Amino acid sequence: MQHFILKRLMSALVGVLGVISLVFFLIHMIPGDPVDVMLGETALAADREALRQGLGLHLPLHEQWWNYLSSLAQADLGHSIFSGRPIVELLLERIPATLHLSLTALGVAILIGVPLGLLAATRQHSIYDYGSMGFALFGMSIPNFWMGPLLILIGALWLEWFPVSGREGWNAVILPALTLGTAMAAILARMVRSSLLEILDEDFLRTAHAKGLSPFQAILTHAFPNALLPVLTLVGLQLGGLLGGAVITETVFAWPGLGLLMIEAIQQRDYQVVQAAVLCISITYIFVNLFTDLLYAWLDPRIDWQDPS
Amino acid sequence: MTIVWLFILFISISLGCTESPPESTIRIGLSIAPTNLDPRMATDAPSARVNRLLYSTLVDFAENATPLPALARWEAVTPTQYRFHLLEPRPTFPNGDRITAKDVQETYRSVQDPKTASPHRGIYQNIQHIEVLSESTLDFFLLHPDSLFPSYLVIGILPANLIKIAHPFHEDPVGSGPFTFHQRPDDTRLILKRRKDAQLVEFIRVSDPTVRSLKLLAGEIHLLQNDLPPELVAYLAESPSISLQHKQGSKFTYLGFNHLDPVVGQNLIRKAIAHAINREQIIRFVLGGRARPAHALFPPNHWLGSSQLEGYAYDPPQAKALLDQAGFSGNRSPVLIYKTSTDSFRLRLATILQEQLQQVGITVSIHSHDWGTFYGDIKAGHFQMYSLSWVGLKTPDIFRQAFHSHSVPPQGVNRGQYTDPVTDDLIEQAEGASQNQTQQQIYASLQQRLLETLPYIPLWYEDNVALATTAIRGYTLRTDGNFDGLVDVQWTQSPSTQPQLTKETRSGL
Amino acid sequence: MIRLWLPLGVIMMWGVMAIVSYVLPLSPNAIDLTQILNGPNKHVWLGFDELGRSIADRLITGASTSFFVALSVVGLGILMGGIVGISSGYFSGWVDQLFVRIVDIMLAFPGLLLAIALAGALGPGIENVILALVIVGWVGYARLARGQVLALKHTDHIVAAQAIGASSWRIMGWHLLPLIMAPLIIEASFGIASAIIAEAGLSFLGLGVQPPQASWGSMIRDGTRYMLVAPHLVIIPGLTLMAVVLAANLLGDWLRDWLDVKESTKRPS
Repeated sequence: MQHFILKRLMSALVGVLGVISLVFFLIHMIPGDPVDVMLGETALAADREALRQGLGLHLPLHEQWWNYLSSLAQADLGHSIFSGRPIVELLLERIPATLHLSLTALGVAILIGVPLGLLAATRQHSIYDYGSMGFALFGMSIPNFWMGPLLILIGALWLEWFPVSGREGWNAVILPALTLGTAMAAILARMVRSSLLEILDEDFLRTAHAKGLSPFQAILTHAFPNALLPVLTLVGLQLGGLLGGAVITETVFAWPGLGLLMIEAIQQRDYQVVQAAVLCISITYIFVNLFTDLLYAWLDPRIDWQDPS
Repeated sequence: MTIVWLFILFISISLGCTESPPESTIRIGLSIAPTNLDPRMATDAPSARVNRLLYSTLVDFAENATPLPALARWEAVTPTQYRFHLLEPRPTFPNGDRITAKDVQETYRSVQDPKTASPHRGIYQNIQHIEVLSESTLDFFLLHPDSLFPSYLVIGILPANLIKIAHPFHEDPVGSGPFTFHQRPDDTRLILKRRKDAQLVEFIRVSDPTVRSLKLLAGEIHLLQNDLPPELVAYLAESPSISLQHKQGSKFTYLGFNHLDPVVGQNLIRKAIAHAINREQIIRFVLGGRARPAHALFPPNHWLGSSQLEGYAYDPPQAKALLDQAGFSGNRSPVLIYKTSTDSFRLRLATILQEQLQQVGITVSIHSHDWGTFYGDIKAGHFQMYSLSWVGLKTPDIFRQAFHSHSVPPQGVNRGQYTDPVTDDLIEQAEGASQNQTQQQIYASLQQRLLETLPYIPLWYEDNVALATTAIRGYTLRTDGNFDGLVDVQWTQSPSTQPQLTKETRSGL
Repeated sequence: MIRLWLPLGVIMMWGVMAIVSYVLPLSPNAIDLTQILNGPNKHVWLGFDELGRSIADRLITGASTSFFVALSVVGLGILMGGIVGISSGYFSGWVDQLFVRIVDIMLAFPGLLLAIALAGALGPGIENVILALVIVGWVGYARLARGQVLALKHTDHIVAAQAIGASSWRIMGWHLLPLIMAPLIIEASFGIASAIIAEAGLSFLGLGVQPPQASWGSMIRDGTRYMLVAPHLVIIPGLTLMAVVLAANLLGDWLRDWLDVKESTKRPS
């Protein structure tokens, strides 16, 4: 068990290292220069050079990369080139907003998706099945950038139930969470249904039936926990993606999360902030997946600890 | 399921508790947030506009952009020595100290100090030294005479004692302006407090114009200024709870060219382009009539502006004739790459220009890049043609910066490497002129020369537009688009702060 | 049967629109500033956009953009993912190890940054949208192919082929590939749906097609700006996009069920 976790942790670390190196080289390769964005065009050439040296941007790229990694190793994320604020501070402002939005969206997805999937699976080929799967397909097919403005119009302007955008007030999270959560709910509902249906054929359900449990009881107590495994993986993957910042949704709703931070930083060529945001996003993604895998292993006795493949 | 509900409740409570300022806060929607509140460091327009509220400056500008005494009146003792007398009552810093000549001296010294790495240092290289004569008098000694020198003294004054200890002004601004820094909950929001009555004013960054408009309609923000498509402005102005103001502005939009390019480097081609653009139609239909056609950097109501300039009329046959003359006749047509940002309005404009140029036989391919890439390319000279705007131009030093042959980046903003000995000469003459009158004349011939040689094709000056809900009263617009009107704006105490939604607003979509 | 014909009909209409857009006398780029945001009329029955262009004409040419993008992205994705996935699953060892690492990194990497980087380095445009989407998208097909190959590698069929001395390439191409085509095709039909949305999303962020070229995503992007004033600008392309995506998803579902049935009749348990 320990060996397994250690091995997974090591590969997760390699993954993170790969991601940040990739980001580092990508962002330095794009045209555009933080010194220009920061100083504007009126600054003196000498000041420009001084700033470039101060930021270490004059060094060869591989040296900059090494410097970056070594400061990371000392848990130093640096300062935003643009606003001069410590990046840790910036991240700490944004992470709660991102957590808030993605967990609520996940909640919405589970609340809608799981009951729909259950309903569809227990009444296969009924009107309920078609209805909920139809809804699910619908949810998957609406792009966020279309649904977001539509929801604002209905929820905020016509019904006046929710604020238009921003993060003030307890109900501000509902509309963006709905925008994000619907697509996820749809995928979740389909997953719950299909994994339930797979299990429903298996022998132990017949046994449950023999024990005198009603089909619904049998499904809830026996099939559902078993069907949870693939669902869990999916939720993990989705949550990982959500925490990575839902750039479009955050843009539409002016939600001050990590995705928005990353986009703005890319525009300003604020290298340090882009790297830190991506680092944050990839670490969450990789570790959420690691956690899902571990949970999976823990829940499913069939998985061999020695060989996780 | 209960667990899920509890879970949601838990995260909503634990994470959703962003405190909001009181109801009576006046909220202003911005498309871009101010980033740097240190006036020595800020280079972007939103920061500059907010810094005007937080700090006071020696000099301000009249509507025609002539310099006016703000903190101080001045006199030229000699052509290289300017004496400033701080006006009484001198404003105070938040701790109650009156602003002194020492504060002014320290502020400009720290801008000049290479260690501060201020992007504005270049402007003040002409200052040899600054001498404090008394608590409210000081002298600036210059290396070379410059009759426009006072109009450059627009840096917000910081307290000398805090400059000494390297106070982080960008995070915790301390100034003597009409507002003080109150709070910055995150980098999309900034709350200031008005000193005379403790009224709170909050700037909120909402990048999407539709969402910004919806927020205004819903009463979540109370004031919007500029950066809206004219159709939305017209729509919002129909609502009984929203009032519209507009005023001629000085935001100058132009087409820039790479003068080293074999095609657009030719004056004939640029003239053809200028004749091919139907500015009247664009202004009427796309800018909602809220713009004035431009023939020069400065609008006619600027003290250097000239109403004598004859612009390029919309004349497709003339454009074609010029193309012919440049050797592009028959099936040989110029192909241009037009760079722009991903901003919707800029793209819309680019698409129209593309079509209008196509009409005279110039093929344009549009390349839209994210802002960082676009700006980087423009700076590095990687373009054939682009469009941008100058915001807040006031002083004629822009002529040297943008058009002198020595101002090629990184020495200045002559991005297209325009070189014209006549222009260089006129710029130098104007700078050296001691008489205001002769200076004005030289600048007029300079602008005439620029219109003939077309380093830029001037397009238009956009008007300023402000939309305010009935929750606030007494806001006035400025030509330069600054937020100075916030000093006098009042929160109305009427209970109907929630604007009534009308049938018209409901019928949308 | 309606589960097949309805989505197939929509997809075919999409394809037909995409092809005839080259033949029809459309003027999607003709600007008429006097018609800006005007609603539908007798001749232009979907109205005008923010530059006074016909929305109907742009919708049809937009179909060819999304069609071209979706097909190229899915096609190239399957090609690349299939080759990498099959070889990684078949050869195991360090090839496989390397592959798993790359997949980990790709999955954790924000695709948007890649799209911006590519647009910055190569210039914006539809080709680079396709490139960015393929770079992000091939991983899914590769993972699927690898998983399938891992499961099939030790079946009698393959072991027998190895025993008679067939080369690795022959086994992968002739014996493994046909067996894993079905799941790849199912995945591809969903891939079409997500490629359409992704192209639209990138165009929505201004990184996709360049004006005046029409794309449903850029139409929606511009449309949301005028949502309050001229709702037809955003509703029409939005509904069209949704219909096609829905059809692609439905088709994927149908295909999966159909192949599933075929599988289970072939191999009674």
